[in-house]
Amino acid sequence: MTLMIKKLSDFLKMMIVLLVPLGLVGCGINNIPTFEEQAKASWSNVLNQYQRRSDLIPNLIETVKGFAAHEKKVLTEVVEARGKATSFQIPKDILTNPQSFEQFQKIQGSLSGALGRLLAVVERYPELKSSQNFLTLQTQLEGTENRIAVARGDYIQSVKHYNTELKTIPGRWWRSLVYPDSEPMEVFTVEAEKTKVPEVKF
Amino acid sequence: MRELFFVRLFLLTFVCAVLGAATSALAKDLELPALTGRVVDGANILSPTDEEELITSLKNLEGRSSDQIVVVTVPSLQGYAIEDFGIRLARHWEIGQAGKDNGVLLIVAPIERKVRIEVGRGLEGVLPDALAGLIIQRRILPAFKRGDLTEGIKLGIEDIQASLLGDGAEVAARSKKPDRQIFSYLPFIFFGFWLVPFVYFVSSLNRDRRVSGRVPGGVVIVPGSFGRAQDHWHGPGGFSRSPGGFGGGFSGGGGSFGGGGASGGW
Repeated sequence: MTLMIKKLSDFLKMMIVLLVPLGLVGCGINNIPTFEEQAKASWSNVLNQYQRRSDLIPNLIETVKGFAAHEKKVLTEVVEARGKATSFQIPKDILTNPQSFEQFQKIQGSLSGALGRLLAVVERYPELKSSQNFLTLQTQLEGTENRIAVARGDYIQSVKHYNTELKTIPGRWWRSLVYPDSEPMEVFTVEAEKTKVPEVKF
Repeated sequence: MRELFFVRLFLLTFVCAVLGAATSALAKDLELPALTGRVVDGANILSPTDEEELITSLKNLEGRSSDQIVVVTVPSLQGYAIEDFGIRLARHWEIGQAGKDNGVLLIVAPIERKVRIEVGRGLEGVLPDALAGLIIQRRILPAFKRGDLTEGIKLGIEDIQASLLGDGAEVAARSKKPDRQIFSYLPFIFFGFWLVPFVYFVSSLNRDRRVSGRVPGGVVIVPGSFGRAQDHWHGPGGFSRSPGGFGGGFSGGGGSFGGGGASGGW
């Protein structure tokens, strides 16, 4: 009988040992690293889409040059902005470092601005506008801009999720206990150019 | 002191749940139409026969390649850009199979005179933005400009289907069922997890029984905790979503969208 009780208590001990990790998982001990990985994954999607845009630009420049080579100012602006964007070395800590995040956003924002001005100039060249090559490029560019917007939105969502987990209980406790190195991440702000009200002249 | 803490914790959880529900209700500023079938004619521009025809052809496509296409016409974009509206609707409906992400949405907003082809992540290769743009410019918009919305939708769907079915080998690969995900094995893994101590316990009891000849009462505990453990893990089983299009009802299969596609206006 005592042997059986001992066996039973052994069994219960084993059960407890097995249950504790389960309980911890249930209390969200894994949430911080899980959300962190999700946020990083959405970030790499953002980078992907920006890269995709950069890749489209040389073709766009060539096509526009074919019809409007004398629009040098806008063309060089785009080329320079793209050069800056592609040569920008993305620091490892960009997501948790407000300065480098801001810088990244500024660089991509100025490329968006330059592209916008180029497309506005194109309006003056009906031949260029109706050329098949340009139409295709324009569709691709629009598609990419849309993807960038979606990817940025997704990134903001997942960072919100992650930052909230870091700041709220029980995530806050887990952070201080197990993940002291997990820092809150930066999110995109609306670009200054987009908040400017467009000027209308009559 | 400790009880107080738990009471507080409980209250917090409760408040948090209520707040969560409230904020999610507030966040729904955009009213998305319900997915009533493969053709959701909210703007009422299709005749019943045309609608039937479209549904049959879209159904055939899903049978062949497992791709889901949904045609949706909306009376209003509610002030949103069609790209924004499109991605929200596509993500809400989850058109396309989970893992394959092979859904396409053709959205027509006749009041705003806007049209968009929203392409699921898995189909961005066979239906790239440029091709979707061409379908809109060359096939859909000319008919729309003539005022023939039905014809434009039909031609657009025809071309979307043709591009999805363009590469035979690729279509065959896409139509295959995806491999079972690890989640569907979880209950079994879990079963094994509990089995080890259980077998150990029972066999050790049996050894005792051979000596003492008594039936142990403690065994009863085990199936109890067993069952609870399984109940607990039923949740993740829900990850395997049922494929849409079974029987008469139609539902999205869990496909995801990343903003691929093209838009146009007339």
